[in-house]
Amino acid sequence: MKSSLLLLAGLLSAAAPYRLALPGYPFEFPRDHFNHPDFQTEWWYYTGNLRAADGHRFGFELTFFRRALVRNPADFSPWKLDDVYVAHLALSDITGQRFYHASRLNRPGPGFAGAALRDALVWNGNWSARWTLPPPAGFSTVQSLRAFDADFSFNLGIESRKPPVIHGKRGVSQKAPGKGHASHYISFTRLDTNGVIEVGGKSYAVRGAAWMDHEFFTHQLDRGQAGWDWFSLQFDDNTELMLFRLRRKDGAIDPFSAGTFVDARGAARHLDQGDFSLEPGRTWKSEKTGAVYPLAWKIAVPSLSLRLDVTTPLDQQELTPQGGYTPVYWEGAVDVGGSRRGSGYLEMTGYAGSQGLTGL
Amino acid sequence: MGRLFFRLILRPLLRDPVRAALTTLAIALGVAVVLAIEMAGDAAAGSFRSSVESLTGDADFEISAPGGVPGEVAASLLRLPEPLEVRPRMESFAEVPESGRVVPFLGVDMVASAPGSSPSGSLGLTSLEDGDAIWLGRAFHRRKGERISLLVDDRVVGFTVAGVLSEQRGEAAVVDLSTADRLLGRHGLLDRILVRVPRTRSLNAWEAFLRRAIPSGLTLEPQGARTRENRRMLEAFRWNLRVLSYIALVVGAFLIYNTISVSVVRRRAEIGIVRAVGAGRAAVLGAFLGEAAVFGLCGSLLGTALGRLMAQGAVRLVGATVQSLYVSSTPAPVMLSANVLVFGLAVGIAISIAAAWLPAWEAAHVAPVEAMARGRVDYQARVHWLRNLLWAGALGVAAYLACLMPPVAGKPFFGYLGALLLIGAMALAIPAMVTLLTARSGRWMARIAGPEAMLAGRGLLSSLRRTSVLTAALATAIAMVIAVGIMVGSFRQTVALWMENQLQADLYLRPALTAAADRHPTLSAAIPDRIAALPEVEAVDRFRAYPISYQGLPATFAGGDTTISSRFGKVQFLGAADRKAIYARMRQGDFAVVSEPFANKHHVRAGDALSLSLAGRTARFEVLGIYYDYSSERGFIVVDRQTMLRYLPDPAPSNVAVYLKPGVSLDRGRAAVERACAGRQVMVFSNRTLREDAIRIFDRTFAITYALEGVAIVVAVMGIAGALLALVIDRRRELGLLRFLGASGTQARRLILFEAGLLGLFANLAGLCLGVALSLILIYVINRQSFGWTIQFHWPAALLSGGLALIFAATLLAGLYPARIAMRLNPIEVIHEE
Repeated sequence: MKSSLLLLAGLLSAAAPYRLALPGYPFEFPRDHFNHPDFQTEWWYYTGNLRAADGHRFGFELTFFRRALVRNPADFSPWKLDDVYVAHLALSDITGQRFYHASRLNRPGPGFAGAALRDALVWNGNWSARWTLPPPAGFSTVQSLRAFDADFSFNLGIESRKPPVIHGKRGVSQKAPGKGHASHYISFTRLDTNGVIEVGGKSYAVRGAAWMDHEFFTHQLDRGQAGWDWFSLQFDDNTELMLFRLRRKDGAIDPFSAGTFVDARGAARHLDQGDFSLEPGRTWKSEKTGAVYPLAWKIAVPSLSLRLDVTTPLDQQELTPQGGYTPVYWEGAVDVGGSRRGSGYLEMTGYAGSQGLTGL
Repeated sequence: MGRLFFRLILRPLLRDPVRAALTTLAIALGVAVVLAIEMAGDAAAGSFRSSVESLTGDADFEISAPGGVPGEVAASLLRLPEPLEVRPRMESFAEVPESGRVVPFLGVDMVASAPGSSPSGSLGLTSLEDGDAIWLGRAFHRRKGERISLLVDDRVVGFTVAGVLSEQRGEAAVVDLSTADRLLGRHGLLDRILVRVPRTRSLNAWEAFLRRAIPSGLTLEPQGARTRENRRMLEAFRWNLRVLSYIALVVGAFLIYNTISVSVVRRRAEIGIVRAVGAGRAAVLGAFLGEAAVFGLCGSLLGTALGRLMAQGAVRLVGATVQSLYVSSTPAPVMLSANVLVFGLAVGIAISIAAAWLPAWEAAHVAPVEAMARGRVDYQARVHWLRNLLWAGALGVAAYLACLMPPVAGKPFFGYLGALLLIGAMALAIPAMVTLLTARSGRWMARIAGPEAMLAGRGLLSSLRRTSVLTAALATAIAMVIAVGIMVGSFRQTVALWMENQLQADLYLRPALTAAADRHPTLSAAIPDRIAALPEVEAVDRFRAYPISYQGLPATFAGGDTTISSRFGKVQFLGAADRKAIYARMRQGDFAVVSEPFANKHHVRAGDALSLSLAGRTARFEVLGIYYDYSSERGFIVVDRQTMLRYLPDPAPSNVAVYLKPGVSLDRGRAAVERACAGRQVMVFSNRTLREDAIRIFDRTFAITYALEGVAIVVAVMGIAGALLALVIDRRRELGLLRFLGASGTQARRLILFEAGLLGLFANLAGLCLGVALSLILIYVINRQSFGWTIQFHWPAALLSGGLALIFAATLLAGLYPARIAMRLNPIEVIHEE
């Protein structure tokens, strides 16, 4: 459930030659952790909350998008534009109250970007997620994340003992009425993370927890949908909660909003829109774009006895990617209080008006 | 001092406006030519940057390799753990069919759209989906959405304008890498990768870092190295052009010398008076040098304006030469910079003062009493022709020795020195020549042409110094015309003979997109295959050339079919090496032959090994022989086609030579070949038209030298006119006396015309001798050292005799106005002045 849904909003109709996300998809790992050229759009999303030994707190986001552009089997040029790859990188220096972000766009080229099982690598230039395949015994995944920008860089090892979660029902996460308005959505909800962050000329050895989403589909939204609010929350008792709320252009909440609860052993439980409530609180206005984002939320999931308060330790976590090919959105680290404590990430799209809709 | 200067210098000048104007104009022309060549050279060479170097943005380094850089290198750079900006490029040219203009045609990564390479406006990835999107420089005057056709290699391709490059002043056409790869058949190879590094460490440190990160066969240079390389290559050419441009100024210097000498002689009495009333030697020296400086200043100012006008024409000529011999370039606008302006003034004034030094110094050292005495006899007696002749001999020997010296930093400085020494020797030998010729021939001339002829000869002899200077000035100009004429004529003949040997095939094919020394558009590989299968065709030779850089200088790497060259070709090797044996060995592996200019430039001999990087791999070729070649100054390294394909597998040829079966008429063969090329834009030349084309290009290349010579001649003839005018005015008394004694006006006129004719004759004679000697220096020293071509000496008889006759006629014409003045002298009036 990610930001580039809107990015692709203008292209929903051009999907004819691509495969739809339909119930009963036979998942096969590690194959399905990598690219699916039959589907038009795909992304790999890494977010996490980290702390250095001295207590310095960081949040990070590293995202790889793939978008199919042309399918011409007769074109063997290494420069062919069958896909384009977009990537976003952000670092929230929460203790330092600073937010850094960068974005890039590349063709696959002769190794510029890609997500192939053969390479065990998802990458865009020198931003990459390298997978250890097969993972060592007892682990569901072991990866190393590296990203370099002019202002900051990080090198993080991530590993999980919990199995991947497949969201939704019968292997599809439905987003709108109708066949194929859905995605195949896989998550690693708790990745033990440790590594090094370099920023402002300083190097920090950090530890913490990360979350990874991988989603592929051909078209999932419908035209009435305006944006969404998405939560990935990790609680101190080793459980996790994913929730998204789809907002319609008329202001209503879409009935296809949904979520997943993952217990301490890794078992997933699907949540329908009726299973939870989301209530926005305090708002913050971006000076840069003028967008107004709700930065405090109350979440209730009565069936799980969850009453949560979500707040952010850093208001300015809005991404305004350059180049005009991706939308403006807010994605940042959050704290959770209430019936369970923890931390997580919050993503909000569709608040920046037309700026959120300038697409590819 | 100011009054002295006015009395002694300005007032007399104002009284003699025609002569003052002629001298000023001579300096002006000299300065104008120097400046015009300077500006034209700058414009022609400077433009190189604005064409191929377009859209390089603010990159720090460039990575290139002969034959291309594998795209994976760009990928590995992008994946380095450093925030580098990496911009892969393909570079070629395309022609706009309507205008025939050739423009840079670049393939860049329109997806990544790094700053500096990104087109203005929105990126429009959707326009890339169709594969025909193009971004154009403003100079195209096209709008987004319009269609445009371009000639790319051998086909016309239609594009849709996806955007206009606002930051692009030139005419570059830009497409995405995928489009360029498809149209140019690059198979994943790039021409260059531009890299911009962050300023976190020094550029040297970054260079070392990048060097470690890329394969060893690739060239890593600071951005703009190619421009510098081309400038270096052009340097020799510009140097020689520059030297040639100074000829007119040197001729002008002779005239300043003459003018100041005349001033000194005329004002001897005044000099005596001012010295007698207390003016120092320095004041007199200063006054006459001041006169020269005034000429220099006025001439230079006028020359600057004139030079700016001339540059406009010169830039076309220089541009044509650069284009056909060196690099693709469209001349930049001509700029009259402050530097050039100051330089022109400095040169004009300095030359004038230097030329005036000797007569001014003499004026300053005349004893007042001696000066106030009447007559100029003592002054002329001072020319010791025999002593001068000995000096001339010594200078001649020095010139010869200078010619034996090697070049300095690739420039034939000693060659130039030799030429200058030789000019000096000639100037010193002229008094002897005039003396010997006129002293003996007076009576003889009187018998043939009347007493006026005899008097003319004696008149010249009696003012030997002036006669010598004038003759030297004209002779220098004539010598240059002859020397350059012989050199160019010999070169032309050599090239024509070379082509006889080189061009043995019946038909030659190339893509419609015009080639240049540094760009080799290709034909579809299928075309020669189709042609080879024709029943009319005996054999097909596929030749492929790649522009490369060798030891920091541009060169050409090429592959040819040695089987066919061996069977049909008649290429000549240096030292009469066995052609067939060389070809047979070339087929066996990494062997090469190199062209003569290449061998000379890089000091390569048969048996040496050349190390080249081709498409990122390092290859070593043993040189088997050096062949004569006059097609490009860049120099060729040629290997067998199969050897080339092992390193650079692209089968598309740049040129194809077709040998027809015996008995097949040229028309029939040509028709069959043209049918085989259907659908592609291919130029088919017969052997004859190709040769004619080559000679036409040759003549275009040397047009600038002819133009420079013409100006030098004009300056010399103007000098003759001015000098004769002075002669008439100075000899009013003499001419008046002759008229008083019964000579008619017509006879006076004949006298002056005879003097002009004799001057012309002497100058032609001296110029011819000097010219032949200079041509030897040009051919065997200056050309060899700066370009490395073997030129067979050849007499361009028609050109020489025509040129000399023309110059002679011009000197006679220059005598017309002074002669008319002589005729109109009123004898009574003149005698009364005494």
